[in-house]
Amino acid sequence: MSALLEVTDLRLQFGGVKAVDGLSFEVHEGEILAVIGPNGAGKTSAFNCISAFYLPTSGSVVFDGKRIVRKAPSIWHRLRLVNLLQSFGFYRVLPSRVTKWGMARTFQNLRLFRELSVLDNVKTAMHANLRENFWSTLLHTPGYHRAEEACAREARGWLDFVGFEGDENLYVTHLPYGEQRRVEIARALATSPKLLLLDEPAAGLNFNEKQALMSLIRKIRTLGVAVVLIEHDMGLVMNLAERIVVLNYGKEIADGTPEQVKNDPVVIEAYLGVEEDDEPTPGAEPVRDGGNEARS
Amino acid sequence: MARRLDLALKHVPLRAPAPLFDRGPAPHGVFNSQSGFLRALGLAAVLFLAMLPFIDASRYTISIATSALIYVMLAMGLNVVVGFAGLLDLGYIAFFAVGAYVSGIFTTVLGWPMWAAVPATIVACILAGIIIGAPTLRLRSDYLAIVTLGFGEIIRITANNLTVTGGPSGIHGIPTWDFFGWSFDDGLTVFGVEFPERVVFYYFVAIIVVLVGVIGAGRLGKGKLGRAWKAVRDDEDAAEAMGINTYISKISAYIIGAVWAGLAGQLMATHLSAISPNSFQFLYSALILMAVVLGGMGSTPGVIIGALFVSLAPELLRDFAEWRFLIFGVLLVVVMLFRPAGLWPATAVLPWLKRGRPTPPPFTEATAAVPPSVFESVDGVPGDEAQEGDQR
Repeated sequence: MSALLEVTDLRLQFGGVKAVDGLSFEVHEGEILAVIGPNGAGKTSAFNCISAFYLPTSGSVVFDGKRIVRKAPSIWHRLRLVNLLQSFGFYRVLPSRVTKWGMARTFQNLRLFRELSVLDNVKTAMHANLRENFWSTLLHTPGYHRAEEACAREARGWLDFVGFEGDENLYVTHLPYGEQRRVEIARALATSPKLLLLDEPAAGLNFNEKQALMSLIRKIRTLGVAVVLIEHDMGLVMNLAERIVVLNYGKEIADGTPEQVKNDPVVIEAYLGVEEDDEPTPGAEPVRDGGNEARS
Repeated sequence: MARRLDLALKHVPLRAPAPLFDRGPAPHGVFNSQSGFLRALGLAAVLFLAMLPFIDASRYTISIATSALIYVMLAMGLNVVVGFAGLLDLGYIAFFAVGAYVSGIFTTVLGWPMWAAVPATIVACILAGIIIGAPTLRLRSDYLAIVTLGFGEIIRITANNLTVTGGPSGIHGIPTWDFFGWSFDDGLTVFGVEFPERVVFYYFVAIIVVLVGVIGAGRLGKGKLGRAWKAVRDDEDAAEAMGINTYISKISAYIIGAVWAGLAGQLMATHLSAISPNSFQFLYSALILMAVVLGGMGSTPGVIIGALFVSLAPELLRDFAEWRFLIFGVLLVVVMLFRPAGLWPATAVLPWLKRGRPTPPPFTEATAAVPPSVFESVDGVPGDEAQEGDQR
């Protein structure tokens, strides 16, 4: 089975703080992977590196055979021009490019376009897929009308897919929180991803909404989209994920099926705490890449 | 139909499932849709403008109306930059100056006809937009404002000191439009009606240019590019995550703003037939920004109203002599107190089209899909569904 996303020895340092410290994992096509860890473990930082928002200190991220982390020649490092060049888009891959390659993401705290309607929010995500340019927009050519019509149809398709049932012409700020979460997922799907990164999708949702989210994520997987999610809700993670990567202090401490992770003493010590009724199996070693073995 | 629509989308691996139901076409009528009403309003405004010279053809009225139109053009351009793309530009008048000077120099020094100077102005403004925009658009909000403020002053001071721009006295005797030997200066008699003033002809040129400017900016704001601008304005990182190259979006907004201002500058150069660096002070940048903010950022009708207010209010208050700017200021404060989002905000919905809060979505499978197995498996054993999904 080929890996869709390969993260190898990813490191991200802010001054002396090692936010991500040697993280390696793989995501395969069409699987649901959860990344868990205590607060401040570096989960979101790792996500930001993978989606090219942050430039990692070292390591490599390969998505669908394309390298996301680029190296600048050492001459620029010596001249101290690396940051300037990278701010102009040299020696780096822009997040928008990564999205075009087929990796979509959502944000931890909702980041919808507040002054756009629900429909326009989803349409915006189709930016790169639309055959529409300056002149066709200015002259309102038949091609423009066709593109707008196709765009609206796709956007409505996604809104229906995620189960949004409100008024599509409302501004997103007028929606209840749970609906805004749905719109954000619809927006991410509208970029037509192969891999969807969800950063705490269940944060702030009530029990029913969490159940609906779970069935939505499974529905997304049936489209052939791999899903990686960061989540604190253990019930949801254990229920949904096929494989779990556990981070602590920027380091990966376990990688395996929910069973393996649950019974891993290192994980229990770092994260779940010792539970009386759920004794760790005596002698259980931290399982690395156990998920792959289990799958094959 | 689906096949026809497919042509409009690039090839992507994942397509949305078909919508569950057909929404039907959106209403287009004058009174049952916002766009229809605005279209009718725009048509009425154009008719009024076209009739104006036949009602009152005095030099004063036409001149005021032309400069108001130039303000509308400028405000529409700045609306693209500030209202759509959210880039606070305090030196916008620099592009107005570039347009005015380039057309002035091409017609007086090089002796080109005015219509031939239009492409030159456009190219010059695109270049100016790239030169000023490319290095600065990496900055955000406040810092960008300061840098654009600096560039606005640089352009004015450069024009003040170069010989080709005529130094502090500027360029005089800029010719008006002429076609095949007939110039606006010659006047014209059509069906016994005499059009003696070149000002009147020029007024019609201004109407056409501004009409194209307003409709063009409005259309760009509604298309793919406009959505990208608004996305960048609302949340730059989220826009980047949606596959929008924010840098390209911002610089395209900047270039389009520059071209609109340049065309307005050319209109003004021909309208006044003389330009000097004094016409491009910071005050005018501030006035146009005020027109945009006062009218409602990102709203085409609002910005037009704002531009008309800013350009006509000082004229209408002429009776108050030296008090007029005081009254103007008080009016602005009052307007901003009562309409903080502008006179006609972009989010405004016509009162008769307003609907109440939408009813909450009905209780359906999607909102409450809780199969019993999920409850059983919360404690850790992956549910049956997960395994089914795996086999698929």
